[in-house]
Amino acid sequence: MGQLMNVSGRVTDEDGAPIAGALIEVWQANASGKYIHQWDRHQAPLDPNFIGQGRILTDAEGCYRFRTIKPGGYPVAESDWWWRPPHIHYSIFGVSWMDRFITQIFFPGEPLNQTDLLLNGIPNAEARQRVMFEPQPTQVTKDLNILEFHRDFVLRGRRRTPELP
Amino acid sequence: MSQPVVSPYCTIGPFFPFDFVDDCNDLTQFEERKAAGQHIWLAGTVVEEGNIPTGNTLLELWQPDARGVFRHPLDPRHSEIDPGFFGWGRARTDAKGFYRFRTVLPGPSREVDGTPRCAHGNMTVLAIGLTRRLVTTIFFSESPETAEDLVLRSLPDPSRRQRLFARRDEALDAGGLPGYRFDIVLRGDGETPFFVD
Repeated sequence: MGQLMNVSGRVTDEDGAPIAGALIEVWQANASGKYIHQWDRHQAPLDPNFIGQGRILTDAEGCYRFRTIKPGGYPVAESDWWWRPPHIHYSIFGVSWMDRFITQIFFPGEPLNQTDLLLNGIPNAEARQRVMFEPQPTQVTKDLNILEFHRDFVLRGRRRTPELP
Repeated sequence: MSQPVVSPYCTIGPFFPFDFVDDCNDLTQFEERKAAGQHIWLAGTVVEEGNIPTGNTLLELWQPDARGVFRHPLDPRHSEIDPGFFGWGRARTDAKGFYRFRTVLPGPSREVDGTPRCAHGNMTVLAIGLTRRLVTTIFFSESPETAEDLVLRSLPDPSRRQRLFARRDEALDAGGLPGYRFDIVLRGDGETPFFVD
């Protein structure tokens, strides 16, 4: 249940060189803001048709793509006011042990973004933009309609072959 | 095109799927083969300040095989990797902060540039409340060479060096395999040394 969405993007190193074969793990709440997880005590329903987790390998150009539904926000059990805004978790393995990367990607314009301690823990507005999905234009048709979002990642490390002088 | 900027990190949070972790804590079998060398349990507890166990913490172990070869193309002896040793695993702590890996005693390895390293493994700690991953190194036995290892040399205080050794612990023995204890203290007295990676 929920709003279908496709996510695409590209994983590169600090020189802009694509990272092919990077393992991406994603996990998220369902449309009601509930995770399939023993530690999730939120009283929202599980969706029997939504697993909320997946693995993708980047292709030769460093690109990835997956389909999901838009996650819901949810209250933090340990807090008496804090709601997490909708977000998708990413874990990425690059080419070396140094590239191990974990983050959360948010949706622009969500009211809960204003008060989220994790999003606003990222120190400046420019950096916060880099943990936002970028909505892509879609054409509404008579067939299945799916929102499109984009998010690129830049991992630590440099490996581009030095250019000849 | 503007210079790429490294993507911002954010905490792993509490809901990393168990499916991505469970059954990943055995490094001694790969593609239907068994790893060479002495199989061991590497186990311990993760605690935070005040000796409070941290359940639901994700640990990732990355180490060379029994002859000291990492499963990575940049290891100078990469072609000699033990085909039965995967070299990477994951475990999570239970409510008491306890974790356990099945692995092999690693052999002395070499850095990318050939620098010799004492037998060691690398551990990543990911947990709710940690913005970034924590990284530490585990040594398995003390010898005159250990003191020369580049990681141990970076710690001037001998008592802190001691915290990087997994110790033989018969209480952890199981299934005929010897147990080695490596406890992790995230903060406070006895804090485990973590390294900038």
